[in-house]
Formats: sequence, structure tokens, C-alpha cells
Amino acid sequence: MKQKLRDFIFEELIFVAKPKQFSDDDDLLEAGLDSMGIMRLIMFIENEFGITLPDNEIEPDNIRSFNTLQSWILTHDKS
Amino acid sequence: METNKLLQKLNPADSFTLAMDEEIRSDGLAGSFGCFALQLEDQPDMNKLSQRIEEFAERFPVARASLKQVGKFYYWVDRKDPPPLFHYHKYPQEYDPADFQKDTLIAVMNKCETRETLAPIEFHWVSGKTGGVFFIRWIHPFCDARGADLIFKFLCTANREQRDMLGMPETGSLVNTRLKQYKWWQKALLFFKAKRHIDRLDQMISIQPFELPQDNLQLDYQVQRLSPEQTIKVNEMARQTVGLGCISLYYIGCLMRALEQLNSEAKGEAYCVPYAFNLRKQRAVTPMLGNHICALFAQASRKQVQNRRGLFEHLKKQHTEVIRKQLDYAFLPLMWAGGFLSLDKYGKVMRLAHGKDHERSSFWFSDIAQVDLNNDCFFDAKISGVFHVCHVSSPPSFALLSCIHRQQLTLSYCFVKPVATSKKIDRLQHLMLTELLAES
Repeated sequence: MKQKLRDFIFEELIFVAKPKQFSDDDDLLEAGLDSMGIMRLIMFIENEFGITLPDNEIEPDNIRSFNTLQSWILTHDKS
Repeated sequence: METNKLLQKLNPADSFTLAMDEEIRSDGLAGSFGCFALQLEDQPDMNKLSQRIEEFAERFPVARASLKQVGKFYYWVDRKDPPPLFHYHKYPQEYDPADFQKDTLIAVMNKCETRETLAPIEFHWVSGKTGGVFFIRWIHPFCDARGADLIFKFLCTANREQRDMLGMPETGSLVNTRLKQYKWWQKALLFFKAKRHIDRLDQMISIQPFELPQDNLQLDYQVQRLSPEQTIKVNEMARQTVGLGCISLYYIGCLMRALEQLNSEAKGEAYCVPYAFNLRKQRAVTPMLGNHICALFAQASRKQVQNRRGLFEHLKKQHTEVIRKQLDYAFLPLMWAGGFLSLDKYGKVMRLAHGKDHERSSFWFSDIAQVDLNNDCFFDAKISGVFHVCHVSSPPSFALLSCIHRQQLTLSYCFVKPVATSKKIDRLQHLMLTELLAES
């Protein structure tokens, strides 16, 4: 899951000179993930993993890093 | 016959902005110019600054090129009489420094020149008693607002190796790159999807908050800079109201409501607002020149605008649907097809509701978001603020640009006088601030 998220974010949303050195705990918002990017990311997650993420949970704490993103997705993944 | 060397063909997004340049000129204004300004507390090191501008022009020869039509398409071409790029406006003692800076910037933005003779980009230093304003003015096919941000980064970056990385590697047009990802039938599907979307928008007549166009039009602007405390509060309200994914819509919705209070008598059924989004990845250092944007629309009926909570729910739902249905990228084939039309015809297609003659846009909006300069100094002069200005067609005669610099939200109100007046914009600023800070 994390690799799919990494591929999407680094290919489509934010530029990081050395993606491999970007850790799963590094701050995505600090790295430039903006509001349009967040919307695209949510749509990608919903399509890719077949889940619905509630609007009221789109919070910095859930989106801040690959680790927090994965934890958030897993709380809604019923498979 | 002597021919000029073709440097670069305009990409579909450049052609889109060129058609708007034609429209703005035909409305009696100077053209589709953008401006990015730094307010400085001291005079920058002028020698270093002029050397850096020279370096920029050598590295990017399009900076001194001229626009030329060849067949159906437009190109940047080499010219024998390269224009001066750096201009120094010395403050006369009898003038109020703030008035002199603003009057000079307005004069530069309103200067009428043909597309073939003007410099694609100009750099201006306007001195004051101590500091002053440094700004760049560009014509839109040359670059977009994010590109202007990168040009400032280029100027500010002291290290030569780091400067060389800006704008490199050359990626070419991101619009073309994305279009190449689609097969011809996918492009056709997207084309009709976008057309149907615009037809739906056109079912309601767009509200024009300002009066009808008049003679002797001039661009003017006002800047509203919120305090860091107010900015924190606005961010909190935006997150609560529309969520982290739709911050721009908070500004748009607040402005719709402020305009409705300013002129509730304005004719029309709905506010319709085009806004651009960038195809570059965030923090990307390339491409620097050219336009790499696509358009979205926010629309809300007068009745929806009157109910604050309902308005933001509607705008958020509309935006989510647009992203879900990929209607954002659907405009790319439209922009590609538009490049085959004459500028006049393309401009009318973009501006006028389909089959009618009323203007589609109630106002223009662009959220530049975080201004990401390398440090707080510009050639040894401390930066006290930044702002943007852009031209807008008339109607709608009004555009709002937003950005955040050093935790301060800055709103630039760009308006066409005498259609809109400074007094009305003062009142609008007050209404806007009230809306931005309002508890939902």
C-alpha cells in the first residue's frame, strides 16, 4: 500500500529531489502537498483501495506522512 | 527576405492566455499582463541584481524574444533589437513614496504596446525614501504565476550551481505531456465531457457584480494583508468549513458572499468563477517558462450564496465531483482544439456563454498559495511583503489573487476603473474580511 501511495504522490503531486530518501515519517504537508493535491490523493485512495474516507477525517494528522496515511486507510479498509 | 529564428512554439495553455490577451486588448486595456511584486525595506544591491537579470536573459533567450504568427500558430522568435529588461524609477522628492510606487506600477501595467514590440518580461525597481518596490511584469504567454515564483527564486539564489538547477531539466509543455497520455478516442471523450460541463454552467446567467464597461479603462489594484493572527483564524475557519482539500473554495465562497452584499441588485442568476490550477508538481523547479495550467469553474446560484453553510457544502460537493469525474483534465483537449481557432474566435468561446452573448465569468480568481522564496532578503534588502497584480477582461472587470507569505494571507484586488471604483473596493475589502473571519 505504501509503495502505491509513494508512486502516486511523487509521480503526480509533489517534487522531491531524492524520493528514496523521503522516509515514511517525513512531513508531506511540509514537502508541499497542497489542497488540490489532497483532493486528488483522496480520490486516488478511494479508487485504488475501494474505500470511502469521511470528509470530517481529512485532517493534517491523518495526511501528514505515509505512516499516518496508511493507518488512516486501514481503519476504513474492511477487506 | 530576412527571417527571425523561431525559438519556441506556444503550447496550448500559452495560446489560451494569448487569446485572453487579445480579448483584454479589444476591451481597451493594455493586455494580459501579470505582476509579482516585493516590497523591500532597503534598496537592493543594484549591481548584483542587474548582473543576475542579465544572466537570466542569457540562460532563457525567450526573455528578449518577440511574438510572431506563423501560419495558424504563434511562436517566440529571435529579434534584432533586444529590448531593455531592467528599469529603474527614481523617487522624486516632491512625491509621497507610497503613491509614487503605486502610480509607477499602475503606469507600467497600463502601458499599451503591441505584442510584437514589447519585452515578454520586464524587471522594475521603484525607489522610495528608504526602500521601495521591485516587481516583474510579464505577458502571460511567457510564463504563469508559478513560473514567476521560480524566476524570483532564480534571481534570489546566490549559489550558481543551485541556480543552474532551476528550470532544469527542460520538460517542455506539461499540457502536451498530459495530452500525449491519452489515446485519440480518450481525448474525444474528454473534449465532449468538458463541453457538456460548460453547457451546464451556461444554463444560468452569470452575475456581473460591477457596472457595464465604459470608456477610458485602466487597471487598478488594492492589497489587503491580514495579520498572522487573522491568517491563522482564516485557515482554521477554512478547514472547518470546506476541509483541508478545498481551501481555495473558502476564499471564492467568501468573495461570492461579499460581492452579493456589495451589490445585491446586480443582474444574473449565479456566480461563475474560473480558476486555474497548476500541472507542475508542488515544489518542482521546472518548467520555469510557459504556462502549465488548466481551468476549473466554481458556480453557485444567488440563492445558494445567501446561505453561508449551504454555499460551502455546495462548492465542496461540486469540486469533489469535478475531481472524481476528471473534469479538470477534461479541459486540456478543449485548450488544444482552441489553438486552431483565430484568437478572436477562441476568446469569444472562452468568455461568452454558449449560444448567448453574456459573459460567463463573474470574476477571475487565482490562489498562488505559499510564496516560497529562499529567504527573507532580496539582494541584501529585507522583504516586508509580497503581492500580485493581473489584468482582467471587462466584464467582469475584477479579479482576486491570494497568496500567503510569512504566515500572512495577502489578497490582491485587481479591478478595472471606472467600472469598479476604489471606494467600492474599500467596502468590498471590509465585507470580505468579515466573511473570512465569520464563524460558520
